[in-house]
Amino acid sequence: MNRPVYISVIIVTFLLGLMITFQFRTNSNTTGIVPTERYQALTIEKKNVETDIADLEEEVADLTAKIDESRKGRTEAAVVLEGELDKIMLYAGLTPLVGPGVEVLLEKSSESLGSAGFYNIRDEDLLKVINDLLGAGAEAVSINDQRIITTSEVRQAGNHININLTKLSPPYLIKAIGNPDTLKSSLEIKGGLAEYLAASGTAVNIRQSGNIQVPAYSGPLRFDYAKHV
Amino acid sequence: MWLGFLLGMLGMTVGIFIGLNMPLVLPQAYAKFLSVAALAALDSVFGGIRAAMEDHFDNSIFLSGFFSNALLAAGLAYTGERLGIDLYLAAVVAFGVRLFQNLAIIRRHILKKSYHKKENTH
Repeated sequence: MNRPVYISVIIVTFLLGLMITFQFRTNSNTTGIVPTERYQALTIEKKNVETDIADLEEEVADLTAKIDESRKGRTEAAVVLEGELDKIMLYAGLTPLVGPGVEVLLEKSSESLGSAGFYNIRDEDLLKVINDLLGAGAEAVSINDQRIITTSEVRQAGNHININLTKLSPPYLIKAIGNPDTLKSSLEIKGGLAEYLAASGTAVNIRQSGNIQVPAYSGPLRFDYAKHV
Repeated sequence: MWLGFLLGMLGMTVGIFIGLNMPLVLPQAYAKFLSVAALAALDSVFGGIRAAMEDHFDNSIFLSGFFSNALLAAGLAYTGERLGIDLYLAAVVAFGVRLFQNLAIIRRHILKKSYHKKENTH
């Protein structure tokens, strides 16, 4: 025998070994021979399951979109409610505010200082000032950092004046947010409050400002008797 | 001749080793064709052994027989499947019969040889 024979023998036996092991692995991989009918049935079943999966995935996508939509709706509702709450707190005076307006400083004038205790700034004076300011379109009013809200009282208590159950003493600094010119002129109108107060011994000092800061109401909020209708 | 057997064993071992370690699995649909081809190849190898024992081994016949038998068997099985005829059964029967014939002849040769040897030693 010569060399080509050996080569061919090696090639042939190599290929034979390869084929046999390949076949062996293919068969052992599937653990036994699967009949064609079973194979076809399984194929059909697999196809059905695959279409089911596709359907379910579509459904999942659909439902996810719905969930997203409703979530978006919910956040929108939350945003709307928050905005409403902000607005209501603003109206109720529970938020500090800033804006253009006037500062009115009421104190005993120097002439009346001599007759000590003879004349004090009275609750009516403050009420009149507040009334005038609100009448002139003031949107937020505070006296010595006590915010005037719907339940605020302005009440004489000896030499002091109680506002929001807090004792205040002169000088009184009234801050009001609104149109500064309207507010100022409403007080300084001829025969108006400023004149009247000055005549009765109170120095009225009105200052316009573009940046009036009115604090929030900080006292307790109680409704023991009033109920929703 | 014994060197040929040795080389054959070597080639077979290498083939089996590579076949076992190849990260490739044939799809189930093609397993049938490969099985018929493997059977034909096996038959060719046994035919070669038989020819070698009968001292009329022809390399070109051996090689061409190996490849053409394997390809033809696989091709026939494939055609049969396309046509709806179980032609691979025919290939299995034909090569199976030849395989057993070859094996029988090889067995006889081996027996005859050992018999001769015994006679010579006696």
